[in-house]
Order: sequence, then C-alpha cells, then structure tokens
Amino acid sequence: MMTKIFTASLCGMKAELVTVETDLQSGLPAVNMVGLADTTIKEAKERIRAAIINSGYGFPKQRLTVNLSPAGTPKEGSHFDLPIAMGILLLGSGRQALCQQVAYIGELSLDGRVRHIRGALPLAMGLWEQGVRKLVLPRTNLQEAALLRDMELYPVDDLRECLDFIMEGGNAAPWKGERVSLKTKQQKEDFHDVIGQEVVKRAVVTAAAGNHGLLLMGSPGSGKTMIARRIPGILPDMSCEEALEITRIYSAAGLLSEEKPFVLERPFRSPHHSISRAAMIGGGRNPRPGEISLAHNGVLFLDEFGEFDLSLIEMLRQPMEAGEVTISRSWGAVSFPCRTMIVAAANPCKCGYLGDERHICTCAEKQLNAYLSRFSGPILDRIDLHAQVFPVPYGDLETEKSGGLSTEDMSVQVKRAANIQKERYRNTGIRYNSRLAPQQVQTFCPMTKEAAGFLKEACEKMALSMRTYYKIIKVSRTIADLHEMDTIDTYHIAEALRYRTLDRFYRRPGHGN
Amino acid sequence: MEINKVYINEETYPRLLKEIQKPPDPLYYIGNLRLAERTCVAVVGSRRASGYGCGNAEALGKKLAARGASVVSGMAKGIDSCAHRGALSAKWQGSKGSTIAVLGCGIDVCYPPSNQKLRNEIAGSGLIVSEYPPGTQPARYMFPRRNRIISGLSVATVVVQAPGSSGALITAEMAAEQGRAVYAVPGNIDSAYNLGSNKLICDGAVPLVILEDLLTDLGLGTEAAKEFEKNLGEEELRLVEILAKEGEMTQEQLCAASGRPASLVSGMVTILEMKGVICMYLGKIFIAKS
Repeated sequence: MMTKIFTASLCGMKAELVTVETDLQSGLPAVNMVGLADTTIKEAKERIRAAIINSGYGFPKQRLTVNLSPAGTPKEGSHFDLPIAMGILLLGSGRQALCQQVAYIGELSLDGRVRHIRGALPLAMGLWEQGVRKLVLPRTNLQEAALLRDMELYPVDDLRECLDFIMEGGNAAPWKGERVSLKTKQQKEDFHDVIGQEVVKRAVVTAAAGNHGLLLMGSPGSGKTMIARRIPGILPDMSCEEALEITRIYSAAGLLSEEKPFVLERPFRSPHHSISRAAMIGGGRNPRPGEISLAHNGVLFLDEFGEFDLSLIEMLRQPMEAGEVTISRSWGAVSFPCRTMIVAAANPCKCGYLGDERHICTCAEKQLNAYLSRFSGPILDRIDLHAQVFPVPYGDLETEKSGGLSTEDMSVQVKRAANIQKERYRNTGIRYNSRLAPQQVQTFCPMTKEAAGFLKEACEKMALSMRTYYKIIKVSRTIADLHEMDTIDTYHIAEALRYRTLDRFYRRPGHGN
Repeated sequence: MEINKVYINEETYPRLLKEIQKPPDPLYYIGNLRLAERTCVAVVGSRRASGYGCGNAEALGKKLAARGASVVSGMAKGIDSCAHRGALSAKWQGSKGSTIAVLGCGIDVCYPPSNQKLRNEIAGSGLIVSEYPPGTQPARYMFPRRNRIISGLSVATVVVQAPGSSGALITAEMAAEQGRAVYAVPGNIDSAYNLGSNKLICDGAVPLVILEDLLTDLGLGTEAAKEFEKNLGEEELRLVEILAKEGEMTQEQLCAASGRPASLVSGMVTILEMKGVICMYLGKIFIAKS
C-alpha cells in the first residue's frame, strides 16, 4: 500500500521536482524517513503525527516508510510537511491517482494549520518548469506565488481543507483572485532632504548613471549614510522582470511575509562590517543568497568600509564582474544573480577627524598609515569614484530650506544616461560604462585631441596607474553621457579626475609621502 | 656623510649661538657649516598641521631661501619638514636654497625615520647640527632642549602654526629669552590648529600678515608680485578670485560662492590644479603659493 505525492525542493534559486513516496507495511509502529532529508524534514514526523491526529484523522499504527525521491540529492525545508502528511492521509484512500497533476508545499503546525514557508515563488516556478500545473500552498504564500500567472493555485488554511480538496475529486475551482502586477514603487526618502552637498550629489549621479562603485569619505556625522540610503531612489525604475527576479531571491532567502509578499523597491542592503563570508556571498549546506544577491538590482552599502575584512572585499570582486555568484558544493553548484551598485563609506582616519577643521585628528602616524593601507591597491580597484563629504555648517542647516537637487531631478539625469548606454551597448552584453573592458574603451570612448593630451599630462603629473587611467576614461564616458555628448572632452576628463581624490588625499606635505 | 665637530673657542663656531646660555660644546655637524653664517631664520610649527599651515611653511621656506637666508628648523614632521622642503625647492645664486636642520638626537640618527629622504637632501646641500654625540637615541626631553639651538642660531623665529601646546611655542619662548625677534602667522580662530600661534600674537609676537614683510624686516628685499593670472580663462579666473578672497574652501563652498554647477567646478578645479594655480589638501582647496 503506497502513495506518491509531488512537491519540490529548493536548490539555490532553482527548484527540483521531488516525489514523496509513502509506504505502509505491517510491523511495529514506526516512521522512517529516507532520501537525504535534513533535520527539519526528519523532525516533520512529530509535527505531522500531531497535526493529523489534531485534525481528527487517524495516524497509521504500522510501519511507515517515507522516501523523498530522487533519493540522491539533499533536501531541506519545512515545506515537506504538507506533502508527507497528504501521502499518509491518502494511504488506502484510492484517491491518489487524482494527485498526478498536483503539487503540495506547506509547513504544518501541531493543530493542523498550514503555515507560511520560505521560497514559495522559486518552488512554484520550478514546478511550473517541470510541467506541474496545480499547486496547493499556504494561504499566506498566495500573493507571492500568484506572480506566476498561469499556475492554478489552491490556497489552504489547514490540513482538513487540503484533504477536502482531494476528496472532492480534485475538481475544486482554483483561486480566482486578482493577480497583482508588479508596479514598482519609488522610495520615500528624497535627496531633497540632503542640504548642500551638491558636489557629492553630482558624484552620486555619475556613479548611479554608469553603475560605478562609489566611496563616500567624510568625518562622522557628515551625512554619508543619509546620502547612501537615497541612492536606490535615483536608479531607473525596476522593470517587471527585475522585480520578479529580486522577489524570487528574497523568497529563496525567506525574507518575504504575508504582509510583504513582493519586493517592489530597489533593495538597499547595509551589512555590518563583522559579516561572515557566507552571509556576504551566500552559503550554507544548501546555499542561500548572501547580501550581494539580496542587493541585486539595488545598492550594497558598505558602511565603515575600512573595518571590513580585506579578504571579504576581495571576494566581492569576481561576482561583481560576472554579475552572478556561483557557490559550489560537493553535490553541485548553485548561482545567484548579483548585479548591484557598491556604495562604500569610510572615515578619513581611525579617529575620523582628519581634515576636519573643528577637531584635531588624534591618530598617531602609525595608525594613520595602518588605516591608509586598508584603502590601497585591490580594494579601491572596485571603486571608481571617491567623493568627500564635509559636514554642513549648522547655520546652513537652519537657513537653507531648499535642499538643491531632489531625487526626481537626479533620477531624470540618471535615466537619460542609462538610455544612452543601453543604445550604445546593444548586442554587446554590457549594460553600463563601468563594465567596459580595456580593449572596448578604444571603441566606445572617443575623445577630443585636447582631452587625450590633458589626460596624458594628468597621468604624468599625478602619477596615475594604468588601471586608474582606464577608470578615469570610463567615468568620463559616463559624464559625457550625462551631458549627452558623443565625444569626451577635457572638462569631462577633468571632472572624472576630481573623483579620484583618494589616491592623493593623504599625500600631505611634510609627511614624507 | 662625514660627521664633524666644532668647539666653542673655534673660529667657525656659529657666531649667534655663542651668545646664548649654555651653548652646545662641541657642536656636531654634517654638511656645510658656513650656511650658519648667513641670515638664519627659524621656521617652526607643530607636527600636526593643517594644509593652511603646511602651505605657509613651505612658501615661507622658499621665499627666505630664495633671498639667500638659511631656513632653520627641527626636521620633525608637519611644519618643520615643509619649511625644509620649501627652502630646498628654492634657488639662490645658482644653487639650492639653504636650510639647517637641528636634531634632538645623535647626529647620525634619523628621527623621524620617515624623513630619511629629506635628511639625505639636507645633508647633501644644507647643514645638519646636533649637540648630542653620534649614536644618541632620541628621548622626549631632548627636543625641548634642542629648541634653544634652533632659536639660538637664528635672528628671528617664525611660528607658522601651533595648537595650544606645541614644541614650537617653547622655541618661541627661547627666542624671546635670547632677545631674538619672534613672529607668528595668524590663523583661522575657528580651527584648533591655530590656537597656540594666535595666542603667541597676544603675548607680543609680531603677526606675520604678509609673508614678504619678514623679508623686508630682515633686509632681504621683496619679491615681485605673482602673475598666475596669465593664461587663465574667464571662468577660471573667477574661481581663483573667490578663492583668493576666502583663502581656503571646500569644493562645496566654491560651488555655492560661484553659483556654478558642481560638475563644472569639479572640472575646473582639476584644471587649475594641473596649472599649478591651486592645490588640494585633505579635500580642501587652497591658492598655491609659489
């Protein structure tokens, strides 16, 4: 006597079809779970037993074997509760033929209620790809899974309701509610609130337009975080596909709830600097997305950049370039997308007051050098623009009602430059200027003779490296795009050079640099 | 580098140094001792200095050396190094500007170690002196002691920038005791970097409002007016004028004062920096002093 029920297991952002086979044999009462199930699934038998009995059904007093097939891939998650319970309840009912087209996902509570699960959207998408057209799922996950337009959904509140669905012959009408389309929302926080700081705002616009990395450097309280928080708002509106993509990631990470079933705003992630590698890149035995993936299509804000583990920052490099992060395990590899804009913020020194006229920097030379060394070489490589943020004098805060550029003004500029880039890089696989390879710079970044001469002179005078040279050209390209110019001219180069201040920031006279 | 010593009863012993209380005997030196015979001016200040102070120290060192004076300082970080560097960058009668470093440690010890390059330069074309025998490691108490030699060698002492407590203030005190002229460069009263030097003015030091005044006082003549206005565009000139009025500004302030967009100002600041008209320090913009 056995049943087969369909469900799926989450593997990164993909889902694989899993068949729950339940078999009952005579023998001492026992429940055996096989098929590389993890602890959450093994514990399920206690929940299921209680849920079945508390829902008013009988639990078989014989030897019960549950197999999760394919038995070779590891499985985890609490959403196996419902399919396993259904497999047990349908034993000997003769109704199991009706389950052919239906898949079940859901977690059970001891009273038989079906609870919210992690990853409903990717699970549903995976099942759809495997040809499953009907899905029974927790009601709280309904909105999220409804993004999948054609799937027939059967939301349930408890085990009884779920069993009724089958007993009625599987002919119950699917949910017919309104399927929301993803309308992306604008951020509430506006750049208008940032008083003054026009120079920094200009750097922010440039960085956002070309998807360049941005470093905000300034003493404590100068407004670095305030500025960073507002950056997602000036990025172009998310398309439906982008919103679906990021919702899927959040679903896989278990960050969606009934109240917040979608991600409609560009994400802004601000991990603490003590973050572990797995949390940043993604990880776990069955990998979940890390912060860089959770910031996909949005902004990854690294506050106190100088305090981050160097090797951690180093690890960001490859995924940022590839646009996705691949995590390998002995049983296979999973990939998460991670196209994000990096915004870092740092104090200019350990005490934070270097260059601040109102406070004296108390750092010893040694500390300063140690701090500076964190910002050298490969770390700054990923960051194209540096902007210095000065605290706004209190007088200005009171008197200046108008905050200058608002989010709307800035997003118009960014959008325009983004469209120009989209047009230019059609069929090249590139989306933004920051992604240009050195050999492509020649083709896509024509500049006037004067500009080329100026850049050469600047490189010699400022002792810039070849890598910085290309960075400056790429940033100039973005600045030219912001001005809607095809050819880069001297002013564009000059402005781009201004955003490489950190290379020379600490070179103060009298300190032997 | 050959280490020499000179005793107080010798002919070549620096004349002004003989006059002070407890003159060093012998005086160890490396380089050209005759540089001490020129008009010596001490240019001192704190190790922690702002761009304002560093810029002035360098400019002052250069101006003095270009008029044939010897710039005396302590080869510490900050103002001292800037003064030495300024002097070395000047030209006088076809050779490098003259500068004298007075050490607070053994003459063959380089302190701070990061100033090795500067030390070599001074040893090459200037003069290094110390009262401590070779091999003496620096100790805290030695530096205030050597300050009496800095002021003692010089006809005048200029404190370029000093916060509330600084060795430079001791040098100024010594100079006053030795009956030498004391100057201080006034600074922004909002900045803690300038507290000591400003207080020195209250105590009677001559405020050095125009650097050239010092040259006139010492009978070294004045320098011709700067002419960086050449080959500057109209917009650029406007920014330079605003800067000259304010002294130091952040780019943000420059944008607000000129009413020009940040993008344009960013570009022009770079161009002006390349032309050598302005310089940047810790994110602030200054008029470059030639």
